[in-house]
Formats: sequence, C-alpha cells, structure tokens
Amino acid sequence: MEKKIYYLLFIAFFALLLPAGHLMGWVSINTISLWGRYFCFAIAALGIDLIWGYTGILSMCQAFFFCLGSYGIAMHMLLKTSGSALPEFMVWNKVESLPFFWVPFQSFGLTLVLCLVIPSLLAFVIGYVLFRSRIKGVYMAIITQALALAMWLLFLRNETGLGGTNGLTDFKTLLGLPLSNTYVKLGLYLMSLLLLCVAYFACYQITHSKFGKVLQAIRDSESRVSFTAYKVMDYKLAVFVVAALLAAIGGMLYAPQTGIITPGRMDVKASVEMVMWVALGGRGKLKGAVAGALLVNFLYSICTSLFPDSWLYILGFLFVITVLFFDKGFVGLMDNLTKRKEPCY
Amino acid sequence: MLLSVNNLAVSFGGVQALSLSHFSLQPQELRVIIGPNGAGKSTFLDIICGRTKPDTGEVYFNDRAIMGMTEVSIARLGIGRKFQQPSVFPGLTVYDNLLLAAKMKKDILSSLFFKPSQLLKARIHEVAEKIGLTKVLSSIAGALSHGQKQWLEIGIVVLQDPKLLLIDEPAAGMSDEETYKTGELLLELSNNHGIIVIEHDMKFVQQIARERVTVLERGKLLVEGSFNDIRNDQRVIDCYLGRNNTQLENL
Amino acid sequence: MKNMLIAALVLWTQWAMAATDSTTIFVSQILHDSEKTYAIQQLVARQDPQTFALLNAINNKKLYLFNNEAVTTGEKNGTSSYEIYSLYPKNELLVNKNGQPLHTSIDALTVVEISRADRLLLNGILPILELFSPEPAKRMLAYGQLKDSHAPHRIEMLQVALARETNTDALRAGKDILYAIQLNTTTDAQTAKRYIDSLAENWGDNAPVFLSAYAKSKKPFADYAGQKASSLERKYDYLQKVQNLFSGLSLGSILILIALGLSIVYGLAGIINMAHGEFLMIGAYTTYCIQTLFTEVLKVPYTDLLFIISLPLSFLVAGLLGLLLERLVVRHLYARPLESLLATWGVSLILIQTARSLFGDLTAVKTPAFLSGGLAVSPHLVLPYNRIFIIGLTALIVLLTYLMLYKTRIGLQIRAVTQNRNMSACLGIDTKKVAALTFFFGSGLAGIAGCAMTLIGNVVPDMGQTYIVDSFLVVVTGGVGKIVGTIVSGLGIGFFTKILEAFFQAVYGKVCILLFIMLFMQYKPKGLFPYKGRLAED
Repeated sequence: MEKKIYYLLFIAFFALLLPAGHLMGWVSINTISLWGRYFCFAIAALGIDLIWGYTGILSMCQAFFFCLGSYGIAMHMLLKTSGSALPEFMVWNKVESLPFFWVPFQSFGLTLVLCLVIPSLLAFVIGYVLFRSRIKGVYMAIITQALALAMWLLFLRNETGLGGTNGLTDFKTLLGLPLSNTYVKLGLYLMSLLLLCVAYFACYQITHSKFGKVLQAIRDSESRVSFTAYKVMDYKLAVFVVAALLAAIGGMLYAPQTGIITPGRMDVKASVEMVMWVALGGRGKLKGAVAGALLVNFLYSICTSLFPDSWLYILGFLFVITVLFFDKGFVGLMDNLTKRKEPCY
Repeated sequence: MLLSVNNLAVSFGGVQALSLSHFSLQPQELRVIIGPNGAGKSTFLDIICGRTKPDTGEVYFNDRAIMGMTEVSIARLGIGRKFQQPSVFPGLTVYDNLLLAAKMKKDILSSLFFKPSQLLKARIHEVAEKIGLTKVLSSIAGALSHGQKQWLEIGIVVLQDPKLLLIDEPAAGMSDEETYKTGELLLELSNNHGIIVIEHDMKFVQQIARERVTVLERGKLLVEGSFNDIRNDQRVIDCYLGRNNTQLENL
Repeated sequence: MKNMLIAALVLWTQWAMAATDSTTIFVSQILHDSEKTYAIQQLVARQDPQTFALLNAINNKKLYLFNNEAVTTGEKNGTSSYEIYSLYPKNELLVNKNGQPLHTSIDALTVVEISRADRLLLNGILPILELFSPEPAKRMLAYGQLKDSHAPHRIEMLQVALARETNTDALRAGKDILYAIQLNTTTDAQTAKRYIDSLAENWGDNAPVFLSAYAKSKKPFADYAGQKASSLERKYDYLQKVQNLFSGLSLGSILILIALGLSIVYGLAGIINMAHGEFLMIGAYTTYCIQTLFTEVLKVPYTDLLFIISLPLSFLVAGLLGLLLERLVVRHLYARPLESLLATWGVSLILIQTARSLFGDLTAVKTPAFLSGGLAVSPHLVLPYNRIFIIGLTALIVLLTYLMLYKTRIGLQIRAVTQNRNMSACLGIDTKKVAALTFFFGSGLAGIAGCAMTLIGNVVPDMGQTYIVDSFLVVVTGGVGKIVGTIVSGLGIGFFTKILEAFFQAVYGKVCILLFIMLFMQYKPKGLFPYKGRLAED
C-alpha cells in the first residue's frame, strides 16, 4: 500500500505540480525540458536494468542504440525543416543528392517504424552472434564496448552522411509543430513522462512474470537454466532486443527536446555512464534504474553550473564509492535506512 | 536400453580424462558409479548431459544419438542433472526455483504469459514435501544450508520429470540422517526413472545399490557388478585409495 | 648528366655577372624607394636566380629589413622569435658570434611594404619562383607543377634549381620532372632510352606514371619504357607492403606493451582495469616531468640521457601509483570483473581530470636525437627509428616478463594464483601480496608503454583512452592471462589493422577488425589459448 503512495507522489509531482508551476511562472520551460530529457535517459536506464540488473549481461553499447533512435528522428525533422532542399550540412559536404538511406525518413510513420526496427534488428544480429558463441561476462562487456567505439568512429566520419562530428542539428518542427514553442516543449515533456510510466509498467510486468524469473535465474546460474531445459540464448536475445528498443525509444524522445544529436552521445564513455546510472540507483530494481538516471543527471546539471571543473571528480568518486560500498545503490541505501527489508524481487 | 555408450574418450591438455569402451543402463535402473578422485566420473556425466564435448564416442539415449546436441535439447529429451556443487538459483525463492524447473513449455512467450495451474502448484508442494522444504518455500534459495540446497537441486531435477537422472554426490555435506533420507528418496525415484548416482560414501552406496555398481579408475572401466562383488574385488580394493581402504574393509 | 647541369650553371652565372650592378640597384629600390613597380618588373624580366629568394619573400609577404639588409623569417622558435635568412646578395641563415642560429623577435624587423598590384607582377614567374623557396616541401611541389607549366626556360630554370638543391627528396622529385620533360621533348632514340633509364634509376614518385604515359606514345623505346614502368610499380607496391607490415608490427608492439599488463592482472585477479590506460598517461607525464625538471628548473642542458632514465622511472612511478590504487580500491574487488570495470572507470575519470588540471591540455616531450629520423632502406621505405625502438623495447619487455613469470619464484606464485586462487592460498602463498605485486608490475608496464608513447605523439591527459579498448580486445582474443596469446593476438590485430587500412580507410578497417574478432570468437569463445579442463569451465 505504502509503495503505491510513492508512485502516486512521483506522478503527481512531475505530471501536475511541475507543469502547473510552469504555467504559474515559477518554473522555467528550460527546467521542464531538462527533466523531459532526464525521463528519456530513465527509459534507456530501464532497458539497462533489464539486461544488466536482472540478467547480469553487461552491455556497453546501449548509448549506441539510444543514438540510433535519436538520429532517426533527427533525420526526419531535418528533412522536414529543409523542405525540398538538401539539409545544410550536406551542402557544405558537397553532397549532390539525398543519400538513399535518408529517403525513407521523409515520412513520419516510416521514421517511427525504422527507429524501432533498426535498433532491434541490430541488437538481434549482434546478440545472436555473441550469445551463440556463449560470449558472456567480461568478454561480452569488452566486445560491446569495442562495438560502441567502432560505431562512434563511423558516425564521426563525414562520408557516413550523418553530419560527422557536428551531428544533426537545426531542426525546427516535428509533425508541423514548432519545437521552439513552449507548449510543444511541455507536450514533449509530458509525452516523455507518459512513455516512462508505460515503459516502467511494461518492465514491471516483464520482471514479475516467469520470464523475468528466468532472467534472474540466468544471472544467478546460467548452466542450471540450460540443464532445466530453457534455451538461455533465446532469453538473452529477447532481453537484449528489448533493452535496445527501450534505449531507442528514449533516444527518439531525446532529440526533439535537445535540438541536437552528435556522436558525442554515443562514445564509449556515454555507455559506461548509462550503466553507472543504474548502478548508482540500484541495479536489479526498476525503481533504482529510474532514480539513478534522474539523480545523476540532475546532479550533473547542478554541478556543471556551480563548479564546472569538478564534475568528473564527483562522477569518478561516485563510481568508485558506489561499487565499493553501496552495491545495492541509492534505492538499496534508502531501503536500509527505512529498515523495511522487503525481498528484492 | 535407456542409455548406451560406446568408445567414449576425452582428454584435457594431454591427460586422458575418460576412455570408456562400453556402458549401458536399463530403464528404471539405479546405477552407482564409484571410483577414486580423477577417475572421470563427473566428466562422464558432463558428457552425457552435453556439458563437455568428447573427442570421440557415441551416446544413445532411448536409441537416439545425442552426441553434439546442446544441453537444452538433451534436457528436453529427458535427462536431468544434479551437480557436485549444488547448483540452484540463489537469488530466487525456493518456490520459484521449483516452479522454473517444472516440466512445461519453456519458450519465451509461454514464460511471459505463464499462469501456474492448481495442478502444478499441488505438484510443487508435493515435491517440496518429499524433499523436506515445505517450510522454507518462500525464502531465498541462497540462504539455505548446504544440505537443503542439495535437496532443492534434487527437487529441481525431479520436477523436470526426466527419464534419466544424473546425480553427482548427493550426500556430500549431509548428516547421517539426511543421507539416509536422500537414499530412500532416490530408491523411490528409481521406480519410475533411470538413475545414475556418483558417490564416495560407501554406507550410502550400500543403501542404494540394489543392482549393479560400476567402478571407474583413471578414466577406464575397472569392474562392474553387485555391491558385494565389488566390495570383495581385490582390484577395486587395490586401486581405491591405495591398498588400505578402511571404508571398504569395515563394511 | 652532371656535366650538362654544370655547363648550364656556368652560362647563367656569366650572364648574371654582367647584370649584377643594375640588379643590385633594383633590389635596393625595392627595399628603400616608394616606387617599386619598375624595379620589380625588371627583376621579373631578368629571372636572375640570385634574386629569386627575395622575390619569393615578396610573394609570401615576408620581406623585412634587418640591419639594413633584406631578410625573411624562417622557422619559429618559441612563442614569438624566429630564425632569419638574408636574401640578397646571398641567401643564407643568419648566425650569431657562436655560430648558433640567430633568433630575433618579429618586432625587431622592419616590414617592407609591397602593394598588392606589385605583388601580382610576380604571377608570371611564380612556378619558377617556388623552385627557390626555402622550404623543401614547397620546392617539391613546385617541381611537380613545372611538368605542365609553359613557363619560358623551364628546363634551364629546373637545372639551375637542381644544381642548388640540397634536400635529397626534393632533388629526386626535381630530377623526376626534369628527365620526364627531357624524355618527352627529345627526338633522338638513344637519348630517349638514356632518359628512360635515368627516370627508372632515379626512383621518383611519379616515374611509373611518366613512363607508362610515354609507353602509350608511338615514340622510340615506348615498349622499353612500359617494361620499366611496370617493374617500378611492382617495386613500389612491394615496398608499400613492407611499409604496411612494419606499421603493423609497430602498432602490434604498442598493443602488446599495453595489453601485457592488462592480461596478467586480469588473469590473476579477475580485475578489468579500465584505468590501465591512465597508467600509460602517468608514464608519459613522468617522462615529461623529468625533462621539465632538468631543463627548466635545474637548467641542465637537454641530453638524450633524460629519456633513458625516464624509462625505469616511468615504470616505478606508474607501478607505485598502481599499488596505491590496488590498496585503496581494487583489493575489494578481486574476482568481480564487472564491478572492477566500473570502479576503475571512475578512477580513470579522476586521473584524467587531475592530469588536465595539473598539466593543461597538450604537452610534448622532446624526442631524443638518436631516435629522430629513420632508417632509409630505400627512398620509398623509411623505417622511423622511434618505431624501431618501440618494437625493440617491446621485445625486451616481453622477454623480461617471460623470464619473470617462468624462471623466478614470484613468477611461479603468480602463475599458481592465476590457475587456482584457493589452492594456492592453501599451499601457503600469500595471494593478496602476489596480487598486489602483480598489479604493481602490470601498472609499471603501462608506465613504460607511456614513456615510449611520448616518442610518437603528444602527451595529453586522455592519451590512455586511445588504446585501451583495443588492448582489451587483444586480451580477449588472445586468451586471458597467457603471454603467448597476448603476443599473437597483439601482432595479429596490429597487422590486420594496418593491412585493412591499406584497403579501406582507417575507420572501416577498425569495423572490419571487430567483425573479424566477433566471427573468430564463434570458434574460439575463450580466445586463442584458453585454459582447458573441467575446472576451467564456468
């Protein structure tokens, strides 16, 4: 019962109080938009919690899937903004005609589909290759990290046709709505919140089903799961695809709210940081993933404005201290403090 | 013939771990395998359940060649394995451990939309009763004692309802009373299942070895026969822990 | 050939002597008068090589007066002081009393203003003017452009320029063009054959192109030129391959140097040390600090010895800091690789930021004199000494590591703990001490790698990040904790990267390598040299 009150408080605060505060003029639209972006990160963090917290697979390329979603939607917005002309960066790069893979992104519906299908498909292929040869643990982490590095380098190139180092920016409208408009920003914020709630609910259902129990069983003793006649690879593959999908959804909502997406969002560091959100929040708990993503990013905003040079120190120390002393993360710490020892699962 | 094995050989880094010319098991037979450390007993079970790939050899389960199949396919055919080190899901409750093991459709979609039937619940409680874990059904498996984990793992294997159970040192870490109960459980199971048990505890072997006992030594079959034959076989006494095998002589 | 050049030179000097006086007057007019147009026109018309340096300076807007003499600036030295060259009548580097190059601040020079219109007068002879540029690279470019130019007397100018040429590469490039022009203009069959031979022997970059172009013409010895062209191309191809292999070897040895420590630490302690790259950075900064300490603070003149003593010191400093990290963080994380990965990543963030606030964004270490330059096996195959040094250093360190692991007591203990930690502890090995020592050693190796890396690049706070992911790939591909695996996969990845880069661009090469490794792991999921047996599973 008490648990439900926390959920209600969370939703009431972000869905009612914050927007109301904005309409009253107390909260700036930038703050609202900032939280909207945090929600996108939280959606991706849910995916990481599923794959790492529940299944024990450390995937270090989630930021790449996040960016696939972002780039997809950004390509669509850029095409709509530039109308019949080529996007500006292509003109600078002396691209004569629209590259073929840009063409489908002219339609919004197709963009939505592609933004979900491409990351899932890639995750499926990558996961299939890796899980088939029983690559796990450290090997999995390192190979996915190398993958993130390679993809990042690929996106940095101008020839890739995705804006190179500068990424994609200067998009003005989505579905004909001006992105600079306050109400559109508010709408995107609410949309992100809604999708976060939906994603949370879906993940809750997944983790509380027998499927979720198999995932935890895989984390605890993979060989026992095999000998109990579950095809471990199918389960791993499924959760890897779901995690990629969640990351891509987060990414899709992220690009319209920031107005820019660059390869910097998908470098090796970005993926590790995403994993750390979950670790800091408390892995193996969905609450932890959401709390971690929101808190770390909130902290980042505060720290970079108050003491700009110290953020990396703070983040570094947080990494170390969390891993060494609070391996249950923030949520675990809270549970301990309130002395309510409930089973984690 | 439930299981038959021909010319099985595997070596690790130049050491011949197993070289077995023939082995067979009848349905509903309970076979005990004994042998000194490094005789290849666990490796033998590892090969049958698909965990280790042999260098050469054939394994037939119900006249079906199972070499080269994955652990999952072998498990689905009806071979259950209990390991030397208890292998349960320490993060899940005892109930969930048993639930996951129970025989049912195990693909992703069925798992996602799974609702336990009354029949299944009853079956789980029945097995829990048998392995004496009814009182701890809702505790986390990782918190159980060593002996309880052994039983839980046996319970997991039983719930899979396999035709062949491969049981590796079930009595290790158990008190005498627990060991005896385990033996009775195995004997009861052998009414419906083929069972291969690896064991060192000779008292326990005597309790459960109603039929034949197989002795392995350095990867090779040394002798096969009834418990009494084995106990009096000089070769076994010689090989087993050297010449002074107190355990065998005391019996 | 040489005789012809000399003859041309003699002719030119005689002609120039006669005109010297008036030339001097024109030069003086340019330097001191307000009306310069006529003087420049005259100098352009005369095409006197002696004035080319001056005209070139005009063209580059770098004509100055210094002690009433026409000068131009050369290489920058420090923030605002330059080397300076006199321009007329002699074109040479100015030196002080001790024979050291004279360094002057730009403020001490008086700018000679030349209007844009006057500068444009030079356009007609620009292709020739550049032949006398002080920079070899520009001269090489100018030679190349002369091929298609229709400037008057281009052959004569080329000959004069080549007679003055001091740089071997530029000389080769110039001769390449000279012979090509002569080959195409000659009508005599035997002369043509001589030029074809000269072109082939000169080993110029464009010789195959020139020769195959000539081979397509219907001129005498066209077939002969074609044969020469294809044989040259084969040679160049071959040399390019050797160069690629060498680059691969060099990259591979860097990867091995870094991965060796990683592999030992991971194999022994189950620690994924993401901060390993930062120990490389620490080694590099140790080298930098030693150099700065001696040359800037203690005012000792720079010697190559500084680099030599930096090598062991880098090992020590990085190793000790590694030990500190082990005591503070890592020892809580033994056999928890994924957690250690995250925690050490945090450490690496802290170390990078610390380096940035201590040293700023970019510093560089002076390369010792004995390691600059390269071993010129042939004009098209130059093996840089610094790369050779790194390869040698890697070989030495691999050997020492091998001896340490297989011939010493501590090495035996390290191998024992790697294979079975609990059993080793039972046998009375202090596993914690062994682990700490291993960490010290692994970090130290990274420190040495860092010291070596100062030879081939700048010292920047995040330099460790460049190689860390690749090094982990080496560890994973090679099989954890195996020296042989690290060496084979390090070299393999190094070679493959460079070979693929020859076909694709660097980035695509990297993607290919990764795909290749993922495919490879389908067959060898535990790497090239996995541990075998029942215990090794799970």
